[in-house]
Amino acid sequence: MAIFRTDPLSGLKIEKSTENLVRWNLIAAFATLAVGGLLGLLVVLTRWPSVHLLPLDYYYRFLTLHGIDALLAWIIFFEIALVHFTSAAILGVRSYAPWLGWLAFALMLAGGAVINVIVLMGGADIMFTSYVPLKGSPMYYLGVILFAVGALLGFIVFFINIAMAKRDGGFKRTLPLGSFGMLAASIIAVLTLAHGAAIMVPTWLWSMDILGSIDPAAYRLVFWGLGHPSQQINVSAMVAVWYMTSAFVVGGKPVNEKLSRTAFVLYILFINVASEHHLLVDPVLSTWHKIVNTSYMMHLAVLASMIHAFAIPASIEVALRKQGHTRGLFEWLKKAPWGNPAFSGTAISILLFGFLGGTTGVIFGTEQFNIIRHNTIAITGHFHSTVVAGTTLAFMGFTYLLIPFIFRREIIWKGFATIQPWIYGVGVALLSIGMMSAGSFGVPRRHYDITFSGAPFSFTFDPSIDLFLSMMGVGGLLAVAGGVLYICLAFGSIIWGKKIEQ
Amino acid sequence: MPKLDHKDIIEAPGVLVLALIFLAVFVVIWFAHLKWLMDVWGVK
Repeated sequence: MAIFRTDPLSGLKIEKSTENLVRWNLIAAFATLAVGGLLGLLVVLTRWPSVHLLPLDYYYRFLTLHGIDALLAWIIFFEIALVHFTSAAILGVRSYAPWLGWLAFALMLAGGAVINVIVLMGGADIMFTSYVPLKGSPMYYLGVILFAVGALLGFIVFFINIAMAKRDGGFKRTLPLGSFGMLAASIIAVLTLAHGAAIMVPTWLWSMDILGSIDPAAYRLVFWGLGHPSQQINVSAMVAVWYMTSAFVVGGKPVNEKLSRTAFVLYILFINVASEHHLLVDPVLSTWHKIVNTSYMMHLAVLASMIHAFAIPASIEVALRKQGHTRGLFEWLKKAPWGNPAFSGTAISILLFGFLGGTTGVIFGTEQFNIIRHNTIAITGHFHSTVVAGTTLAFMGFTYLLIPFIFRREIIWKGFATIQPWIYGVGVALLSIGMMSAGSFGVPRRHYDITFSGAPFSFTFDPSIDLFLSMMGVGGLLAVAGGVLYICLAFGSIIWGKKIEQ
Repeated sequence: MPKLDHKDIIEAPGVLVLALIFLAVFVVIWFAHLKWLMDVWGVK
């Protein structure tokens, strides 16, 4: 017999096994963000020419692990926590397969640990993309497969929970919007992780010399069925978090719920083709294929983001106007709860995701622009403004709600919590703009030494890149300060936060 | 049929105005950025 408690802050009915699954996935997320962020600090201090901190081999090693921990592990652990939260707690039902949730968690933890150890031991200095014929230790690929299978099982829990919740009356015709967004994320996740299995299993066999070779073009094609769509899981989950934060903090309801749901369906149908730009110079795909994806399909996914980008602020405005903030056009904006880090985190996330990540995504995803910029640090700037300023910041903001709801603890250091999203947001914005500006001058991404010392031909960039790379470095330091504050606030609140009485 | 007030049609006028302001700013930045890029890349 499942035992539920009614959370006094959110009014949600939460069962113990759901609570524990959300808790442990969040703890793993915080821990991996701490490691990924530390590695990010070392990487940015190396790409900043005035500092150039790490030696060559450690740079590529830490860059590989920064991608794994900050881009995959932190975000996917958080998303699996959201899977349990939105498919059980939001619907007021129990977790129907907690054993599967724990199996998923164990596999992800084991896979993540194996990857970290192998990369730190120097067994896989092959970067996040691990393009063949670069070959890592078989244990690296095994770690990736374990993590991916764990994540896949975690997302399958979502489908089990909503199917059983429908039977038990957890919802009637359709899911609440936050859960619907996570449904879109889970559907994209299954497609994405299937691509991952299709390419990582043969690559693992190749790394053990069981398979003779892996075709590099086939690897790139299938890898980007994993690599880029995994970012679209993040986009769907982030937008779901935006809607939920608006609902929890100001009581926001979508102005037109059908339109918001349609936008999530557009993500499922069209956003995966965004990965096409990784393949623009591959001769195996036809020009028609490239143009139809980069010049037509991509905009249907962008349309979805624009619908959300207007629907969520509109839901906030309508909710605040209902609370009486009706004077003029912008009283609601002035009276919005800017001191609440959950709200400010979401607002900054929407702004930066739209104006830095979204606009540059449209530009860089277009065929002609992409050819010019693809291997420059401008792309790194783009995805830091989507995945970090957008997804990570939205998840940080939502943490300030989840800790009281799920851990039943108050947030400590409320003053610091209020400024944390601002410090982090400004830092990541400077980091991204610095990278994108330097990339416009052709500064390559990933490269250890952009002075090309020891090369047979000399090349120097326009001197203004020093300014932009310094902007990147300062922004990186500021973002790390905001990140450290977030980790301290998260763990500190879980351990020392005042208990919330039921 | 009762006459509709504009507030019944536009539930979030602030967001509409903000969107128009952002659109105008974005168009200005876009063209300024394009001109800058053409200088950087040496486009005649």
